[in-house]
Formats: sequence, structure tokens, C-alpha cells
Amino acid sequence: MKQDNTIGSLELDSPVLSNAPHTPRRRMWSVGAVLAAIGYGYVVVMIGFLYLPILVMALMSANASPLYELPFHFTTHWYQALAEDGVLKAAAFRSIEIALWTTLLSTILGVMASLAFFRYDFAGKRFLQAMLFPPMAIPWLITGTAMLIFFFAIGIGRGLHAILLGHVALALPYVIIVVGARLRTFSPELELAARSLGASGWQITWRVTLPAIAPGVVAGALFAFAVSFDQFVVSYFLSDPGETTLPVEIYSAIRKGFTPEINAISTIIIVVSMGTMLIVSRLYRFGGEQ
Amino acid sequence: MKFALSSPQGRPLVRAMTLAGPAYVWLLLAVFLPLSVMLFYSFMSDVPTSGGNWSLTFQNYLTFFDEPLYRKLMVRSLGLSAQVTLICTVLGFPCAYMLAKVIRGRTREALFLLIILPFWSNGLVRIFSWNMVLRSGGVVDWVLNHLWPWTVNTDLMFSYPAIVIGLVHSYLPYSVLTAYLSLQAIDDSLIEAARSMGAGRLTILRRLILPLAMPGMLAGAVLTFVPVVGAFMEPRLLGGRKGTFIGTVIEDQFVAVFNWPLGAALSFTLLALVLAILFAGMRLSRRKDK
Amino acid sequence: MALIDKVLKRALTCVMATAALASFTAHAEDVHVLNWKGYGTDEPWALKEFEAKTGYHVVNDFFNSEQEMLTKLRTNPGAYDVVMVNSAFNQQAREQNLLQPIDVTGMSNVADLNPKMRHSHLLEIGGQSYGIPWVWGVTSFAVNDTKVHPAPDTIQALWDPAYKGHVGIRDDAIEAVQFAALATGQNINDIKNLDAVKDKLKALTGQLKTFWSSENDWNQYVASGVFYISTYWSGSAARARNKFNLPVTFVIPKEGAIGWLDSLSIPKGAHNVAGAKAFINYMIDPGFYTQWDSRVGAPVSANVKAVAALPANAFNRAVLANPSVQSRIQFQEPITDDKRKAYLQLWQEIKAQAD
Repeated sequence: MKQDNTIGSLELDSPVLSNAPHTPRRRMWSVGAVLAAIGYGYVVVMIGFLYLPILVMALMSANASPLYELPFHFTTHWYQALAEDGVLKAAAFRSIEIALWTTLLSTILGVMASLAFFRYDFAGKRFLQAMLFPPMAIPWLITGTAMLIFFFAIGIGRGLHAILLGHVALALPYVIIVVGARLRTFSPELELAARSLGASGWQITWRVTLPAIAPGVVAGALFAFAVSFDQFVVSYFLSDPGETTLPVEIYSAIRKGFTPEINAISTIIIVVSMGTMLIVSRLYRFGGEQ
Repeated sequence: MKFALSSPQGRPLVRAMTLAGPAYVWLLLAVFLPLSVMLFYSFMSDVPTSGGNWSLTFQNYLTFFDEPLYRKLMVRSLGLSAQVTLICTVLGFPCAYMLAKVIRGRTREALFLLIILPFWSNGLVRIFSWNMVLRSGGVVDWVLNHLWPWTVNTDLMFSYPAIVIGLVHSYLPYSVLTAYLSLQAIDDSLIEAARSMGAGRLTILRRLILPLAMPGMLAGAVLTFVPVVGAFMEPRLLGGRKGTFIGTVIEDQFVAVFNWPLGAALSFTLLALVLAILFAGMRLSRRKDK
Repeated sequence: MALIDKVLKRALTCVMATAALASFTAHAEDVHVLNWKGYGTDEPWALKEFEAKTGYHVVNDFFNSEQEMLTKLRTNPGAYDVVMVNSAFNQQAREQNLLQPIDVTGMSNVADLNPKMRHSHLLEIGGQSYGIPWVWGVTSFAVNDTKVHPAPDTIQALWDPAYKGHVGIRDDAIEAVQFAALATGQNINDIKNLDAVKDKLKALTGQLKTFWSSENDWNQYVASGVFYISTYWSGSAARARNKFNLPVTFVIPKEGAIGWLDSLSIPKGAHNVAGAKAFINYMIDPGFYTQWDSRVGAPVSANVKAVAALPANAFNRAVLANPSVQSRIQFQEPITDDKRKAYLQLWQEIKAQAD
């Protein structure tokens, strides 16, 4: 009975696009459809822009010249070199491990803090919110040096634990701000209503609030992972020489010789991430539909 | 709309502190205390460990007012950051809108993931890939020469536009995803209701969608503006001889000379300016709400 | 359940004890070395040879700038046994109490070192050695043969308008100022006319395309045609030619070039002084040096016997050992912190004005 007014997953009857909700669709190419087509094209162009350097990076990982010279000569030499490069692989795994821990810790702590800001008004709240900016604003070199000095002074020293300490601290502001933005669209009445029905604080959070802000939490977690995985300055200061992370190895390799092996491992990581994410999205919809 | 979720146990402050406490204790240990050390250094004439005589002084901060160099670079960096933030917000919004309101189902999730993925490529490798794209003889040249009958030599590398392109590319996903978070939470029925009252597309956009998407867009803008002011990697690697900004100059104080006090003072001045701008922005938006 | 628990606990203690013991014994035979990455002290084949000869296992750590090296020494006392210190920085490291005097008894190769370097006032204070000269080299410029021919013999080539937009320089304030000093006929360690230097540098920034900060950068920029002519280090230019097959010619112009001497020192509080001495002795050994230069490419050894052991046409032996060339080289002396800061500010101002 319901007309199928979809082009793929593009619903022409979406209230966003239709001009007058009570008039049934007559022409195929209404203003709404044209806008939608332009929009779709725009998204494709944006994705293209985002992936241009990624594709170049992947292409160069299969190029024979160690100095990134064109013309292009295909080779798997760099991937073979990578297979034998224990240091780079170990560093990559270490980075992933640290990033996962960072994501877990910063998401949990960050969501809690976000909820606190959302629910309560208290003295010093503005100050605490302002304190989220120093880690982001101050150049990493300063923060890294400061951390190094301080950690040594109090006996924490360098190492993976220090890196984790630093990464979570750097990721927290991102999580808090992103989740906070999503909370701003969440109406507090829902929490009130749930409480009036007798739900406890924990139940409210778990059953009402979190599901509604799930996309924000997921986005925050993804940002936290990115912040940690790509961090090389603070990691450089806080890592033990024998146990570095991938970005630090790449940063150090710039002096010694930046071979396309770096491209090879970066390409592998992107491909693996893509695969992992596709699998995860099949199993769990986090589009946040209400 | 602020109100306190009153609960049987404890005042709002206590409850807020238990939620936000862990995050801020972590930040205190990992960031605030180390940065306090740096803050202290910024008031010294010399770092104590270097063996020289040191004394407390304001000179490092006064240097900012004495030397036009630092003021000039600060303005340049703030300008660059504002440009990048504006471009990211403007480019990101339509993309986010399409994702949130028009594209549905599996495609939307796939695109969501595609936009996140470039985050997980290594930042340094990305910058080097841009080198390949933008330089004379690079990808842009190659494509243009194949499409255009005349020989073209666009050498975008080592220029201000190259820096902007690199930064926009790195920070665009922030704008898209944060705007998405707010847009996706807008109830479709609101839009339908507006339509049924005869509102045109532009009005709906201006009066309904943009205000509701503001929290997300602002979050994205902040997450872009704040870090870009102190950026040093992209300016250095993509800007060539035009790549002198406050971030690179601060780095020099730690890497080329042993002038931590000056580097620290410049960083905190930067922080103060950024906070002032954010504060002013908040005031402005508050006034508009009234 | 209880039995399994007990067994597991015991097994765990055993494993931990063995690990602790192993790490303890490992530490006793380790030599910790701090240097630039890829600069001789971390060559895998060399470390293997060294360990086979002496039984010491080498653990490398790296720095990306002299300031970082000083910071690492300061914040990690006792962590390193050998540190590579540019001789112009030796005074600073010494004054900050970071180095200890080296007793050269038992180091067989020290007798063959170039006496001027061995007893240089930069390294030897009051008869005590605070650094063993290791390798020296020259910072001058190199040209891409296919774009610039014949190779120029004057430093003013960097300012030649024909190469505008294709000139490269390292983003280092001291180096930039000293190059301009050479170009204005001054002593790099005692610059009297800073204004002339300023003007020269302002003109230079108009010629530049970008800065290089590592060998890797430099090689890529030359290969892709960004640089036709650029400042560079002598050893790196040899490497660019031999290892990367780039058509480059290194030039030591008539105005002279900047010389630097790298030395190996032992930080204060080092745990393994015996191992450190053995390592340093190995690093100045002709056997190591000839392999290093031929396999990878290296600056000039401070050990005259090592240089003599090179093939006759080797760049280090043929060009740099030439006395007329050596007389044109001005070696870097230490610079006071204040001067360094002043030069940095000058350089930053000039860079900031680049249109």
C-alpha cells in the first residue's frame, strides 16, 4: 500500500525534501530531488578529497623509488621489507594497544564528566570547562616536555604507562566536548520523567540517557582513538627507547630515511581498520535511531 | 535550560564531583600539574637545572609586547586558524546534513565510517602525501595536464594555500561528525510541522535547523580552532619558507635554543588569547539568544 | 584448586626470578649509547661485530637536536654510557656538569687521532679529555649536476637569481647566520657586522623554496626537482651520490665552509665506563670506519690511519684531506646562550617577513 519512493536509500518522501506534505509526488525531478542529487554528489566529492592523500599514500607504498620519485614502477618490495621489520611491526601493535586503552579510559571518564556538566550547576563549573582547553591549545611540545619533567620528578618516569597517562589526558577534552554537544540536544525532561517513575540514578543513565547520546559517545570514542593513535610529540618524549609507538618511529625515521615501508604499514592499517569497521557496523547499528 | 537533577542523596556539587572527579583527577596529574611547572618556568629568567643563576621575572611575557615578531606571528596564526575553522565548518555542514537527514540505512553507516577513517592514517604520512599531490609534477599537475589542452604547472607546494589545504583535510572530519551529532538528533516531525505551516526551505534552514545544529557546529569549530593556532607540523612541512607561525617559533625555543621560559611564556600567552576569544564568542552567542 | 594455585604461584615466582636475573645480567653487559639516529653508532652489523669482540651489548637511544641531547642527559643521569656531543657543545655540557673526564689508557686507537683534534681546546681542559674526536665534516652546499653546470666555486651561487625558487637551506639559525658570514667574508665565530649578515639573509629567503631538516628531506627535494642548489653536509652528500644515485656535486667554495667536529663523551654517572671506553675505541677503529664509509657513507674520521685506509678516490680522502681545502674550513666554536638566542630571533624575524 505504501509507495516505494526511495532511490536506493534516498527517501524522496523524507519530510526534509518534500515541499508540501499533502501533495503526492508527481514529477520525478522536483526541486527536492535535484537538491538531493547535488547533495549526494557533494558528499562524494568530499569523500574524494578526504581520501586523495590516502590513495596517494597507498599508491606510493607499491612504488619502487625509495625517494618517492615518479614515474611509477610497481613493486611489493616495501611490503616484503615490512614483513621482516620487527621494530616497525612491534611499534604498530603497541600503538594500537595504547590507543584502545586510551579510548576505553577516556570515553568512560569523559562521558561521566560530560554528564556532570549536563545535569548539575555548581560553583566552579565554568572554570572546569575552561580547563579543558589547555591540553588542546598548548603546543604538544610544551605539554610533552612538561610531562617528562614532572613524571620524572614524581618517580613515574617514561614508558608505556606514562604514554597512556598522557594520551588519556589529551583525549579527554575531545570526548567531553563531543559528548557535551550531543547532550545539548538531549532533553532533560526525559531524565526527570524517568525519575518520577521511580528509576534510580544508574538506571536512568544506562537506560535513558546513554542510548540517546550513543552517537556522541561513539564519536567521542573514535576521536579519542584518533588522538592517541596519531600522537607523536608527547609519545616521543614519554617513550622508552626500545619501546616506541608507530608515530614516534615514523617521526624518527624522517631523519634516518623515510622509506615507503612507512607507507606500506600505514596502508595496511587503513585497510585493516576499514575491514574491522565494516564488520563491526554489520553487527551493531550505531546510527542512533530513536 | 539548566536545572539540577535533584536526588535524595547529596547536593548537586557532591554528585557532580563524583561523576567528573575521576576525569579531572587524571587531568590534574597528567596535564595541570606538569603545566604548572611550565607556568612557573615562564616567570624565570633561566631554567634552574641549566646551572645559571635564575630569578623571577616578567620579562618573558613582556617580550611579547616588546618584540613585534611574536605579535605578528600570533595574529598570523589566529588568522590561519580562523580561516581553516570557517572552511571546515562551511564545507562540513552540507556533508553532515546529507548524512543526518537524507541518506539512510547501511549507506549512512558506511559513509560515517569512511569519514572517520582518514583520522587513523598517520598525520606525518598524510602530509608527505600532500607533498606528492601538490608539488609541481604531482598529482594535481598530472590531472590538470591531462584535462587541459595547455601545459599547466601549478606548484601549490610550500605555500600558504598548501598549509590551509593540509589543515582543512586533517580537521574536516571533526566538523562533519560534530555537526552530524546535532543534526541527527533533530526530530523529523519538527521539520514536517514547519513545512505544514508553509515554511519554505530556506526559512526552515535558517530558523530551525541551524539553531538546533549549533551545539554540534560550535563543538566542531572549537575542536578545530584551538589546536590549529599552535600547529607547527603542517606549517613547517607544507609551508616551506612561508611556514613561520607562532607554533614553529615556540618549538624553536625548545629545540634550537634552551629558552624554555620564553617558549612557555609564549604558549601561555597563546592559551590566554584563545580562551579570551572563546569567552568573547560565548558572550556574543549568549546575547543573541536573548 | 588449591594445588593448582600453589603450582601456578611457584611457577610464576620462578619465571619472575629468572627474568629478574636475566635482566640484571643483561644490564651488567649493556652499553647505552645516545646519538642521532642512523649516524654510525646504531649500524646493526657494527653492533654485532662489537658484541662479538668485546661481549658488550649496545642499547641505542636517539635525539633530534643538540638541545634535546642536553635535556636527556640532564633528566636521565646515569642512563647513558656514551653520548655523541658536537664539539661546539662540549663546553656547555661540561659547564652543566654532564660529562666526566675520560682516562684513555687501554684505548689503542687514540694514539692515531689527528693531534690537533685530539688536543683541541674544545675537548681538552687542563690536560683532561672530555671528548674523544670521532668524525668531522663540513657544511657547505651541493648542486644538482643536471641543473647547475659547471659546478660553481663561489658561495654567492646561492644568491644567483638564475636559481631563484630552487635554493634550499637548513632551518637552523646558527647555520644560516654563519653562511651569511662566509658570504660577507667574516669569521663565523666572531661576526662583527651583523647588519650585513641580516641583509644577506633577507636576500636569501627570496631565493628559497623551502627548508630541509634531514637527509631524507634533502634527497627527496633534489630528486623531485625542488632544489637545484642547497646547503648540505659533506658526508651526506657522499651518501646521496653513492647510496641514492643522485647526481650531486659537493662544493667547498673559495670563501670557505663551516667545519664541525663530532666527538664521543662519557656522561657523568655512567654505569659502564669500561664498556663505554671499549665502544669509543671501536668507533675510531679503522676496521669499523672503512666499512662504515663504504657501506653507508660517513664523514671524515678523526683517526688519520682510518682515513689513510680508505680507497684513494674516496671523497673523504681525496677532497677533504686536501690541505688547501682544509685551510678554507672554519671550524665552529662554542656560542654563548645569549648569542644563540639573538641569532635565533634574527632568523625568525627574517623568516616571518618572507612575503
